[in-house]
Amino acid sequence: MLVTLEGVTKSYPNGRAALKGVDLSVPEGDFVFLVGPSGAGKSTLIRLLIREEIATSGSVLLDGRDLARIKRREVPGIRRRIGIVFQDFRLLPHKSVRDNVAFALEVVGRPRREIGGAVDRVLQLVGLAGQADQLPGQLSGGEQQRTAIARALVHEPRLFIADEPTGNLDPLISWEIIQLLLRINEIGVTVLMATHNAEVVTALRKRVVAMEDGRVVRDQLAAAYHRED
Amino acid sequence: MIAFAGFSLRRALQGIRSNKLMSAAATATIVLMLALLSGLVILLAGFDATLKYVEQEVQVVAYLKDSATSAQVASIQAGLGQMPQVAQLNYVSSDQALADFLARHPDEVDVVGSLSTNPLPASLQINLRDPADYPDVAAFLVAQPGVDRVLNIRQTVDQLVSIIGVLRAVGLAILLVVGLIVLFIIVNTIRQAVVSRTDEIEIMRLVGASDAFIRWPFILEGCLMGLVAALITVALLWLGQAPIASFMTDYFKVLPVEASATIGRDVALIVLATGVGMGFLGSWLSVRSCLAR
Repeated sequence: MLVTLEGVTKSYPNGRAALKGVDLSVPEGDFVFLVGPSGAGKSTLIRLLIREEIATSGSVLLDGRDLARIKRREVPGIRRRIGIVFQDFRLLPHKSVRDNVAFALEVVGRPRREIGGAVDRVLQLVGLAGQADQLPGQLSGGEQQRTAIARALVHEPRLFIADEPTGNLDPLISWEIIQLLLRINEIGVTVLMATHNAEVVTALRKRVVAMEDGRVVRDQLAAAYHRED
Repeated sequence: MIAFAGFSLRRALQGIRSNKLMSAAATATIVLMLALLSGLVILLAGFDATLKYVEQEVQVVAYLKDSATSAQVASIQAGLGQMPQVAQLNYVSSDQALADFLARHPDEVDVVGSLSTNPLPASLQINLRDPADYPDVAAFLVAQPGVDRVLNIRQTVDQLVSIIGVLRAVGLAILLVVGLIVLFIIVNTIRQAVVSRTDEIEIMRLVGASDAFIRWPFILEGCLMGLVAALITVALLWLGQAPIASFMTDYFKVLPVEASATIGRDVALIVLATGVGMGFLGSWLSVRSCLAR
């Protein structure tokens, strides 16, 4: 999915400007690290992409469609084409791994007979086929994040957003999660990952978009976490 | 569509199960309100039936003295016959009056049998073309020897109408207050259900669930509570059928028999519609205010 931001600003009613004229273009199939200190505007940018919020000015376009102009009832359809995971996993504690993933299909009205197969396939993909019947509380942090990834993938999204997906995980497990995101990218899904994990970003040499104080201060291909010049 | 209905129903039932105490309390208050409502409907139906019965009857009754001679009676009848205001005139003898009374109250045969004389007077029953003509006819009747007293049925009817009016107004006012309280309780119960599912709702939004999938389970939850309350109320009414029916016939002596069957059906329908309607309205208001975005 093609993501385009043109002169996007976002101000909150309290007067705080979270984004100040952001321009960004992410072509289909790209892998982008979004880096920068807390409060730089990364999370706001993500909320605009999933249309949790609407830009104060400028435009946020997905495949050329301005998210500020779509109708309210079109929002769910757009969200189904975006998979998203967070630092805190956001799993339902009383549902098994399989039910957590199936929930994403149930709530959009997919018939039950289609759900089972789709869930099994995606659990296979993230390597959780053996833990399908366990509850999130019985899983390690890495397995919980894989469950969240499986849930985000089950709609076969074209844009995958990961907001600090390794923030709660130790380095080894973090690498496993990153490997999984790279696999998802290899099958053609655009991946946007906000992170503080300098080691991972620098090692992978992907495109890096650095933000500071609501602005994009660096947008560099095959880059490191920190500026290298 | 089937997936939607199944999903909503499953979620609504889960919601009620996970919030048993509040759901039970809300259902109980709906039952209370519906019981009040059916009481009012039954009472008003009784009064209405009485009214209809009375209205069919003659409008003016002149009771004759036992000492009235047949010549006096004949002259009164002749006089009334000449009055243009009189539409219809019937002479009911003392024996006929007793027979009518017994036909209407078969239980009282023993009581009447124990009397040595017939206590009921003979009477003239008069239908007027226009109830406003009553004073003319009454004035004529009072002046006649042989007439004991004149009864204006219209006046009784008017009194009944005003009693029904007051009862209806007071009843509706009480119902309105109770209804608002019940609505408030439903709104709160559903709000609590929504709050207890904040995490699920957030995930539903993220994965692209439509508003209908997010809202309808809660609305259905309210409707189900209303439905259960209505069924409980109907069951209670059915159990109390016999005492209610005997109260009705005792209190409204003249209630036509065929009325009770249709009243039962009407009350059941009103209770069901109101119960489900209140559940729907309460949960809809709740969902609208706390899931608005």
